Amino acid sequence: MIEQRQTKNSFLIVGLVLAACASSASAQYPTPENRPARAAESELNAEESVVTSTVAPNSAVEAALFYLFGGTLLVSALGVCVTKSVVRMATWLFGALGAAAVLYFLMGAAFLGAIQLIVYAGGTLILIVFGVMLTSKSPWVRFDCPRIEMWAAGGVVGVLFVALTTLLIGTQWPTLSAAAHPATIAEFGKELLTTYLVPFEVGSVLLLVVMIGAAHLARQEN
Amino acid sequence: MSEIALETRPDPLAGTDKSEQGDVRTEEMLVNMGPQHPATHGVLRIVLRTDGELVLEAVPHIGYLHRCAEKIGENLAPYQYIPYTDRMDYLAGMNNNQAFAIAIERLAGVEVPLRAQYIRVMFAELNRIASHLVAFGTYGLDMGAFTPFLYAFREREMILDLFESACGARLTYSYITIGGVTDDLPDRFLEVLDEFMDYFEPKIDEYNQLLSFNQIFVKRTADVGVISAEDAVRWALTGPVLRASGVNWDLRKSTPYEIYDRFDFDIPIGLPGGSEGVPRAVVVGDSWNRHIVKVWEMRQSCRIIRQAMEQMPEGPHIAAKTKNLKLPDDEIYIEIENPRGQLGFYVRGDGTQIPSRVKVRGPSFCNISVLNHIGSGCLLADIPAIVGSIDIVMGECDR
Amino acid sequence: MTQLSVPWRPRAKQQHGPMAALVAGFAKALYATFAPLVRAFPGPLLIGAIVTVIVGVWANYLVFEFVDTALVAADTNVVAETGLFGGLLAITEVRAGLIAAGVPGAGTLCYLLYPLQYGLVRDVIGAGGLLGFISVIPLYVIWWERKVAGRIQSRTGPMRVGGWHGWSQSMADGIKLICKEDLCPADADRPLFKLAPYLAFVPAILAFFALPFGTYWVFREVDVALVFILAMLGIEVLGVILAGWASNNKWSVYGAMREACQMVSYEIPMGMALLIPIMAVGTLSLTELGDTQSGGWTSWIVFRNPFTFVAAIAYYIASLANCKRAPFDLPESESELVAGFHTEYSGFRWSLFFFGEYAAMFVVSGLCVILFFGAWYSPLPMSLAESWGLGDSLIARAIKGLLFAGPLWFVGKCVFLLYVQIWIRWTLPRIRIDQVLYACIQVLLPLMMVVLMGHTLYELFVPTHGLVWSIFNIILSLIGAVAVLGMIFIATYGFWNRVGLVGSLGVETLPGS
Repeated sequence: MIEQRQTKNSFLIVGLVLAACASSASAQYPTPENRPARAAESELNAEESVVTSTVAPNSAVEAALFYLFGGTLLVSALGVCVTKSVVRMATWLFGALGAAAVLYFLMGAAFLGAIQLIVYAGGTLILIVFGVMLTSKSPWVRFDCPRIEMWAAGGVVGVLFVALTTLLIGTQWPTLSAAAHPATIAEFGKELLTTYLVPFEVGSVLLLVVMIGAAHLARQEN
Repeated sequence: MSEIALETRPDPLAGTDKSEQGDVRTEEMLVNMGPQHPATHGVLRIVLRTDGELVLEAVPHIGYLHRCAEKIGENLAPYQYIPYTDRMDYLAGMNNNQAFAIAIERLAGVEVPLRAQYIRVMFAELNRIASHLVAFGTYGLDMGAFTPFLYAFREREMILDLFESACGARLTYSYITIGGVTDDLPDRFLEVLDEFMDYFEPKIDEYNQLLSFNQIFVKRTADVGVISAEDAVRWALTGPVLRASGVNWDLRKSTPYEIYDRFDFDIPIGLPGGSEGVPRAVVVGDSWNRHIVKVWEMRQSCRIIRQAMEQMPEGPHIAAKTKNLKLPDDEIYIEIENPRGQLGFYVRGDGTQIPSRVKVRGPSFCNISVLNHIGSGCLLADIPAIVGSIDIVMGECDR
Repeated sequence: MTQLSVPWRPRAKQQHGPMAALVAGFAKALYATFAPLVRAFPGPLLIGAIVTVIVGVWANYLVFEFVDTALVAADTNVVAETGLFGGLLAITEVRAGLIAAGVPGAGTLCYLLYPLQYGLVRDVIGAGGLLGFISVIPLYVIWWERKVAGRIQSRTGPMRVGGWHGWSQSMADGIKLICKEDLCPADADRPLFKLAPYLAFVPAILAFFALPFGTYWVFREVDVALVFILAMLGIEVLGVILAGWASNNKWSVYGAMREACQMVSYEIPMGMALLIPIMAVGTLSLTELGDTQSGGWTSWIVFRNPFTFVAAIAYYIASLANCKRAPFDLPESESELVAGFHTEYSGFRWSLFFFGEYAAMFVVSGLCVILFFGAWYSPLPMSLAESWGLGDSLIARAIKGLLFAGPLWFVGKCVFLLYVQIWIRWTLPRIRIDQVLYACIQVLLPLMMVVLMGHTLYELFVPTHGLVWSIFNIILSLIGAVAVLGMIFIATYGFWNRVGLVGSLGVETLPGS
């Protein structure tokens, strides 16, 4: 059975491009509240930066975009959970990570956003490759897990959600003054190589260890 | 069918060391290459058993172009059957005509005039060039180089123009017929042919520059699909495929038919890397050698054509009695050197005009049989390299 | 007789959506209008088109620069005050700014340019221009590729559609592709199958949004433009891989896997090659990178030192692999994989892959031009323009723009690099997947490591504009000049001394006549 339908794709392209315009438009006018360096600190916990930026969206359009992409992020994340095909899961994950990157752009953390895209696009790619490799036996292998595991996972995630939410609401987040200029990438680099040199180096060494470990595992035994 | 065939064959990696297979034994995949695939030169179907990009086994399946060509031969008078021989190896129609014509002439004892023999040799060699040009061009196409194909076809068109001027057809000539050729050469033909030869011979160097000695091309084809001389003989390979394995065997030299003993030419054979400007990575019997032997053969064909043009005698172009021949109650098997190898015709007469048995030994059919032998354990991209270098024509393979 | 129902037979009546009918109708009407004109006056129209493009580009440029001047002169911090879509500046402020800038007739101009004060209006104009450019570039690069391929193969290429050298061949193809049936295999992963072309196409377009065509000619000045563009090129691959997987075709999966391993490996040497100009200049902003190369031929980063020279070549090779051009076109190698990742695609979705591919070709060439080959500056140094004392008038600016710097130079250089890509494609055979990976991991990667280290040491220990530095700079510039001039000379010589085919091979009298 072959589907025969006329292309109605032009709308979608226009929409995507307009969304892209809007997101890159926001990249030009960084909001002073969120310095990239601070966003970098909380890189591992993207939710934090998301929450801070809701404190004072400086225009209605920006707020609309924030909610649009925040919503995209949530829907995509949900998609990752409920999809059972590996490759679709990876695609949803890519959607979530992409939406997070757009949020970074919205906050003026252009570097972080770009790095997010470049790293996670590559990461998703590898994930898909693994998905293809793991599911080579039948094309649409599905991941079904026992109900008890789902409940257990749900419980853990629920507890985590409540804890994080409480923490986020309870904490007094410092807001930067409007006078603070948006950080340039040069300042970001200087911070990374002076103030945060040790974590940066530790991270590099960790990656090196991973690389050597991977090479060791991949090496054939003689 | 293919699955059964695959199951009964041994795993080519079964005997190898575990370490060579790698730690993880990965999933295997059966892939159908063809019958509709750009690299299979017609309707060949190759069932590949692959492990990622590695081809564990390549089993050729043939028969998609079977048209009962031999059976038709048992229902027609020989001169009526000539057009059917064109359709077998449609890239070398002249050579096919020639093979069948010689078989019938020998069986029925027809004396072919000398001029006709010269014309036949000239056209057979021209067709060998045309056929090798297609092989050269499509091989480049298999390797991802588009331009050589167009260059080769540009020159092939000129040869086809010449054929058209002589017999009116561009692909299925039926020009060489029982007892000679259907028509004498048209006016100015030799002049124009001379002009073409002057134009064509330098082009061979151009082809080599563009494709044969291109570094990427050499890397793709050298040491790929190596057939040793013993294997080549054992698998009954013939033609450029056999000669690329270093076996100096050409029917035009070893058992000269027609008037091939009157010409001075060489038999190019496969050379090891590093000798006479051959790239270092090349080994005897690999795809590169199979390719270059064809290019070198074009040059030798040019030599033969030039000599034939010089020696061209006057006289009739066809024997007096060629139609309504009664075939004696006898049998004959002759082979000639087709561009792809030895094309053999077995014909048995029974006293009537119509042969009681016609059997063809096709070079493509025999040559493709070696595919599984050399195609196992190579990469997926090497399969087009091997199939292209064997240079098959499915019309003749399936018949 | 019973009627056999053939499950795969397409329905006889094609259904056309209103959008497709509209687009196709528009394109047909456009073609019907312009084709006769072009057929009648090919020469004047061509010259006219070129002049119009040049004039249009410069008019556009001047307007935007004027607005920038006005806004700066208004002494208003636009970025901080106007928010996302640029709030309205008080018209009086602009007028004051214009008068302060010494612009004649400021009052009237102010009202004419009124809409341009809105960031949104400017964005829409800019995005419209950019999208127009992006849709025209693939059409004409494809047409040009076919012409160049034709010339290389002693053919003529497209000659008929539109009259003059088949100028509208790509448009006709586009109409055909839009009208074609949109097939989706029954066993495909339908949503992903339909999503994949957009994932391949949209990022390639987005990359243009950060790609500067000139000092003021960038849609969005992002200070991490380079990283952004690399990220977009990476996402494009995702579309290709999804397409291969979702088609549920073994050949497509082969193509996708090849693309994945090719892309993952070549991104590394490509990134390392891009680090070298960044280290030399010290910024990730493409505009700043480009503006450092205003000192003429010798100031181009490629001729800065031997390491940048090697890096430029390495980048070009890696970029070929990145946008899957020959000899690295393994994902779609038609002699091995039928058509690779897009085997199952047809019509509009198929054309999206090609739009994406050609747009990506332009983007990687653009990066190469900005980072290594003098960006939007001509081989003449800008100081020469200063010494002419042209002043600041409109004409002077136009002359400067045409002779010294501007988007036309940028596009011209990009087109030259595109031409080299085409030339390589129609000359070389394709390499094999193990050789692709060998070339990357065993050759390019170590080479780039050495070059990166060498360049660091060179920048640290060889004094800039010192003796050693200058000697290398001059030698490399000469090599570059000789290479380009040699290419031009050979091409011209070859063009004038074309060898025609042998004269008529037709024979005067046919046998029997």
